[in-house]
Amino acid sequence: MHTVSTNDTVAGQRSKRPSDWTPVNYDLHDTWFPVSHSRDVSSRPIRRIIHSQPYFLWRENGISQAAEFHPSRLAALRHASSAFTGGSGSYPVIERYGYIWAWYGNPDHADIQLLPHIPFLPLDGNIPGYTQRTVRFDASSALSVENLIDLTHADFLHANTIGDGISESDVVEVEWTSETVTRTRMVTQKSVAPVMRWVGGIRAKYQDFRAVLHIHLRSNVCISYPRFRPGYDVPNLQPFLPVGRHRSRCDVTFNTTAAPSPFRYLMPRINYIIQPQDNSVVRPQNQRYLDESDRRDLHSRFDAPGTRYRYQMEQLAKRQRRGDFSYGTDAEPGRDITTLLGMDG
Amino acid sequence: MADNAWWASALSEAVNNGKPLAVVCNGEELALFRDRQGQAFALEDRCPHRRVPLSLGCVVESGIQCGYHGWTFDGASGACTAIPNLHANERVPARYAARAYSVAERNGFVHVWLGEDEPNESVPAATYLPEGREYTGAATVSIQHEEYLAAMLDGPHCLISFDAVRMTDFFLGDPCLKDNHLVLDRGAVWSTKVLPPQFVVDYPLIVRTSVPVCGGDIRVDLLTEEETPLCTVFIASGANRRGTTSLCWRGFLHRSEGGVAPLRWRAARRAQRPPFRVHSHVDGEALAALLVAPSRDLDRLRDQSLIPVRAAV
Ligand code: FES
Ligand SMILES: [Fe+2]
Repeated sequence: MHTVSTNDTVAGQRSKRPSDWTPVNYDLHDTWFPVSHSRDVSSRPIRRIIHSQPYFLWRENGISQAAEFHPSRLAALRHASSAFTGGSGSYPVIERYGYIWAWYGNPDHADIQLLPHIPFLPLDGNIPGYTQRTVRFDASSALSVENLIDLTHADFLHANTIGDGISESDVVEVEWTSETVTRTRMVTQKSVAPVMRWVGGIRAKYQDFRAVLHIHLRSNVCISYPRFRPGYDVPNLQPFLPVGRHRSRCDVTFNTTAAPSPFRYLMPRINYIIQPQDNSVVRPQNQRYLDESDRRDLHSRFDAPGTRYRYQMEQLAKRQRRGDFSYGTDAEPGRDITTLLGMDG
Repeated sequence: MADNAWWASALSEAVNNGKPLAVVCNGEELALFRDRQGQAFALEDRCPHRRVPLSLGCVVESGIQCGYHGWTFDGASGACTAIPNLHANERVPARYAARAYSVAERNGFVHVWLGEDEPNESVPAATYLPEGREYTGAATVSIQHEEYLAAMLDGPHCLISFDAVRMTDFFLGDPCLKDNHLVLDRGAVWSTKVLPPQFVVDYPLIVRTSVPVCGGDIRVDLLTEEETPLCTVFIASGANRRGTTSLCWRGFLHRSEGGVAPLRWRAARRAQRPPFRVHSHVDGEALAALLVAPSRDLDRLRDQSLIPVRAAV
């Protein structure tokens, strides 16, 4: 097969090239996953999956529990439990921001300090149900995150809902640590997005827009703070739970409680329109990222946040392949990100 | 070896300048489309940016615009001609391209050249010369491509039927090799006749199947015993995913129908009912029951045609 994409490499240099991006195979350990909305867990156990590993969730006297086995079989099967629960069958678990967070990795490393800070969600999870939704993606979580970090697809895939149109200026910045990637986009004088105009009641022709997306690499927890002026803030949490190499689920929260009705109620549901559009591309993408290939992806300068995400993920995966699961000194997953998100500006 | 060939991969009317057509031909995933002038093009159904199928995009003036980020690829060369939002002074790197395939359109079929070598002149559907009204269709059948070709020799009744005709499996001789195709005749009778085929002294009809040694162009002719053609069907076949086979076909009635056909056949033709049916569902039971007979020659020829390739390695 002749390949026109990346065959301009001088022979012999090939081995020096970075390996192909195969995010589908990533399995990053030692992190908290928001495995369920709090309200979905009652005394009746439910079953969720992280990286093919079962998580049974239920409450005892109101306290959340997470185990490898159904509680009715826990005693009998405890001896068969894995290293993820250190032989106890029970995962470290904690309830915050309206989610049950379960630890994935070595249970001895579970540390509440490693829980992400989400400044726009109440710590006790006291938030109305209309803000929370569940969507599923037919792709690995990393490809779904890539879709979210990527700004240029909205004009094509989501033209009818959040399509961009023309703006006066559009600046994108990326910053990162060994554990996070943050993308900031500042747009001035952009034509008002259809959803803001028709549902949000914004009559102005143009609006300024600033959106910060903060991604925790290990857990695919995406913390997003878009601010529209004139308009509203639509802070949201989109945690892509890696169910397996081919599927992910996302228990989202859109905190629109400060916005007027009906926008407040409709915006959290916009995922039901946007998600199938995103899924239509990530679904066929997934199988093409399973195996390493000589045909490397082509990039444009608009892909800078995405390629940075790929690079940081690759570094983290490399480190974990070497057996190093520690958090670097530059990484404080729990640090206050209020300023980073531009909430106080 | 079979790769270096033209493959008829779609009906001309299925390829347009609005929505690209996704086809799988000889295992290759393709996006077919036309420009405004009607010229047909084929690109690999994979965007080199983020690997999304290009067939999800739409046709623009100069090629296909990918549906994910809007990169545009030229139909003829595959070159990426535009990335949205680049400044006027920015250029797309010259090496940015999708894989493009040579296309030749002939007699209602869009052919794609699958291979490394320079395309040759011999386009499969060149021999298909329809007269008058055509009957066309496309399907994906759940049978592996080589088995489909073999069954076309051993038992075409599993794959195609002619109106009011019963095919027999009495082969009128052995397959003979013509232009890289195995051609085989079998006896057939009008199903409207009361007399069962085993009592027929000479078959009034011939079904002639022509199956390629490499490639996918199949031809089935219904002839009278005097070899006057009644009906011709050209079936383009090729391997699709998971052991299925893509088909698209065109067929027509010859004007030389003569007075031989029974009343029912002639009435149905006047009513413009299709004279044949290419099966889009293959009966597994009937297929499994087929004895391997003339298709042995196909295997033998394929093995032979592989020898020069092996010798070259
Ligand atoms: S995947 Fe085709 S333009 Fe991005
Ligand atoms: Fe999207």
